[in-house]
Amino acid sequence: MAILDSRRVSRAGRWVDVRHRRLGMWAYALNRITGIGLVVYLYLHLCILSLLTRGQSAWDSFVSLARSPFYLALDVILLAGILIHGLNGLRIALTGCGIGAGAQKAIFTMLMIVSAIALAVAALKIFHI
Amino acid sequence: MIENPFTEEPKPTSAWLWQVFTGVGLVILLGLHFIANHFVAKGGLRDFAEVVAYLRNPVILCLEVLFLLCVTTHALLGVRAILLDFGLSEQTERRLDRVLKVVGALTVVYGLAVTFMVIR
Repeated sequence: MAILDSRRVSRAGRWVDVRHRRLGMWAYALNRITGIGLVVYLYLHLCILSLLTRGQSAWDSFVSLARSPFYLALDVILLAGILIHGLNGLRIALTGCGIGAGAQKAIFTMLMIVSAIALAVAALKIFHI
Repeated sequence: MIENPFTEEPKPTSAWLWQVFTGVGLVILLGLHFIANHFVAKGGLRDFAEVVAYLRNPVILCLEVLFLLCVTTHALLGVRAILLDFGLSEQTERRLDRVLKVVGALTVVYGLAVTFMVIR
């Protein structure tokens, strides 16, 4: 018996396509896309931390590189993913506990505005503007 | 596949409860981690000597180990949830669970090994 069949694979990946979908589907897709990105980042981050075991020169060279504008821009993208995933995740957790289930769209919109404001403030701080 | 997620509440499985539990923990622990390592540190990142001094603080060490446990559990439960959408058979689901437990254990052991090699 095949582990996966093509219809199931096609159906399982439909959440990626949010065209002509309601806000709820956008929230669902955003949570998954940011989640996948953060899992990739987690393992990349753990690999980079292995530089610490190679001593001071290896780590401090990386730190110099990571303070360049390109890496700082990547930090802002990372923070965007964390804020969207974290705040949207809190909404999902509250809904699962029966809190705010009737006002999910408003809560989602409000949390995304909070994310955008927090990201703007953090980006200014990261680039020392 | 959920057509409109706002119309359905998540099923309270133990995996979902762990996902929520670790997720709430992460909001606090990741917030502390990010502020301590990127906003408080001069230049946005700690140099080698600062990392060693930071991790040698027992309270920080406990928080970072807890953060490693929470983030690994949360991440792999998320991967599991996405893969379960493919409608895996029960046998494949059991295999997936075993694989993810091994990956999770290796991730935590790796993270602890790096941490203790740094602070020894």
